[in-house]
Amino acid sequence: MLMADGLVKRFQSRTNVITAVDGIAIAVAAGEVLAFLGPNGAGKTTTIKMVAGLVRPDQGRVTISNIDVTGRPALAAAHLGAVLEGSRNLYWRLTCLENLIYWGTLRRLTPRAARTRAVELLRLVGLEDRQHNTVQTLSRGMQQKLALCQALMHRPKLLLLDEPTLGLDFASSETIKTTVRDLARDGVAILLTTHQMDVAQQLSDRLAIIRSGKLVLSGTTTAILTQYSKPMWRITTASPLPTDRIAAVRALGWQVEQPSAEAILVTPREDDADGIYQLLDVLRPEPIRLVERHRADLAEVFQQVVEEGANAQ
Amino acid sequence: MTSLLVAEWRRMIIDLVRYPLETMSMMVVMLAVFAGMFFGAHYLTAAPIGGTTLSGVVIGYAVWSLVMNATGFMGYSIQNETQNGTLEQVMLAPWRTVQIFLVRGVMDILEMLIPVLLVLVGLVALTGAQFNWRPMALLPVIMIIVTAWGIGLMMAALALLFKRMTQMQLMIQFALLFIIMAPITALHGVTGAALGVLAPLTVQVGVLHAAVGVTVPSVSAGMWWEAVADMALWFGVGYWLLTSADGLARRRGIVGHY
Ligand SMILES: Nc1ncnc2c1ncn2[C@@H]1O[C@H](COP(=O)(O)OP(=O)(O)O)[C@@H](O)[C@H]1O
Ligand SMILES: [Mg+2]
Repeated sequence: MLMADGLVKRFQSRTNVITAVDGIAIAVAAGEVLAFLGPNGAGKTTTIKMVAGLVRPDQGRVTISNIDVTGRPALAAAHLGAVLEGSRNLYWRLTCLENLIYWGTLRRLTPRAARTRAVELLRLVGLEDRQHNTVQTLSRGMQQKLALCQALMHRPKLLLLDEPTLGLDFASSETIKTTVRDLARDGVAILLTTHQMDVAQQLSDRLAIIRSGKLVLSGTTTAILTQYSKPMWRITTASPLPTDRIAAVRALGWQVEQPSAEAILVTPREDDADGIYQLLDVLRPEPIRLVERHRADLAEVFQQVVEEGANAQ
Repeated sequence: MTSLLVAEWRRMIIDLVRYPLETMSMMVVMLAVFAGMFFGAHYLTAAPIGGTTLSGVVIGYAVWSLVMNATGFMGYSIQNETQNGTLEQVMLAPWRTVQIFLVRGVMDILEMLIPVLLVLVGLVALTGAQFNWRPMALLPVIMIIVTAWGIGLMMAALALLFKRMTQMQLMIQFALLFIIMAPITALHGVTGAALGVLAPLTVQVGVLHAAVGVTVPSVSAGMWWEAVADMALWFGVGYWLLTSADGLARRRGIVGHY
């Protein structure tokens, strides 16, 4: 659906040239959610705007449904919906319904079709009882949900979301996440940027982490999380473990950390399937409550990747 | 193109109806100004009501208001959209930026004309005054508006690149007033003709004067051609400038607020 290759963008500031995006390639297939992660100033927004055609790349090419964004912007725009960061994306003095009808008609729907679609979308995000209120009377969360409806009026095949849940209350954020998941299930390709690792972890099929305009890690979310998971177990007990038990575990050749009295983190010398049984035997008959294998969360991956990158420089 | 027109037409009507007080007060002010000019000028000059000069004054005022709007609105709209964070969405629509803002320029003139026409009808009903109305006068008015849109497109280009330009806009509008008032059409020969074609609006205003019978009794074919050439020149340059500014803004990454 979306193909971007070799994107480079430099900005001329008063004193120097900033390379905001430095050779990024991304692809998002229909029905797929790609989360674009990176620290502030990494070039996420610039990349999204290049995909949307709002920023023209210095090098590289973007195609949406095989349509060149630079060459045929109006045609590409018909397949594209976007909610941009820091923009209101909506007219303050118009009501929810008027806004959606305006943006829909501007994207070539008839006013009647736009009204039907608008009512449908407002119901989807739970704003149907607000349809005659002006945008300025809505909360931030409602505005963001309405902005999402706005981007969906013309049933785009590609949806771009720049920090879609930033600064939202819990309920609005959940609605947006659910909507994103449903859209992906219906075959929409979604590219989203976020600082919020939990959001990325919950929504994405694939990840692309960028730093200083360069791609530092990309792949499917599951594969990346597996790759960064350690061969470590966390064992929680009902009462503090006696020191002789811990010594016995060490004697098996395991590394032990004690983050709290009732929990130990243990890492075997070799990661084989049998090890954990030996360990549990040693712990018998202590009251074990929970045994869990370490699973990296995205925040750890992100920190590791971005810091490694920073140290390498 | 129709869906763009429909979208902007609906937005304009909503704006007109949503704020009836704004619309009403605009109509009242306009009525007062027209009436003031009408009776004031009659009182001072003892010219007959409905006479040629008075019609000229009223038409002049109306046309001047149109010119101010046509030159200022598109730039104002871009500035406004930039501040409100809607410009990016507008520029993501499947239309050229220049098309969208031109259509908005057209709607702005309509938004202004609808109340003006209502006022004029009211005025005629109220005073029984007769306008020295000639259909031929409509043509130069249209040419004046199109030329003014050309300048409006240039200001829109500046607004897209520089964001804040209230000062600049005022200066350009003053320069415009000066150019229109300057007696360029009175210059004869090649210089006069050349300046007439180059300076925006001068010829069109001359044609308008002639058409409503303020100055010259009739308009020569040459004057018509000059007016058309001038209009095409300014509109064309404006169109080209906004198109280029659009490309430049996208290259520099300054669409909306950076
Ligand atoms: N129009 C612009 N002119 C100059 N510098 C810019 C412009 N847009 C972005 N930048 C710079 O490019 C870098 C990347 O910005 P951005 O893409 O907004 O990052 P992110 O969205 O990942 O936080 C930043 O250093 C930013 O200051
Ligand atoms: Mg950003």
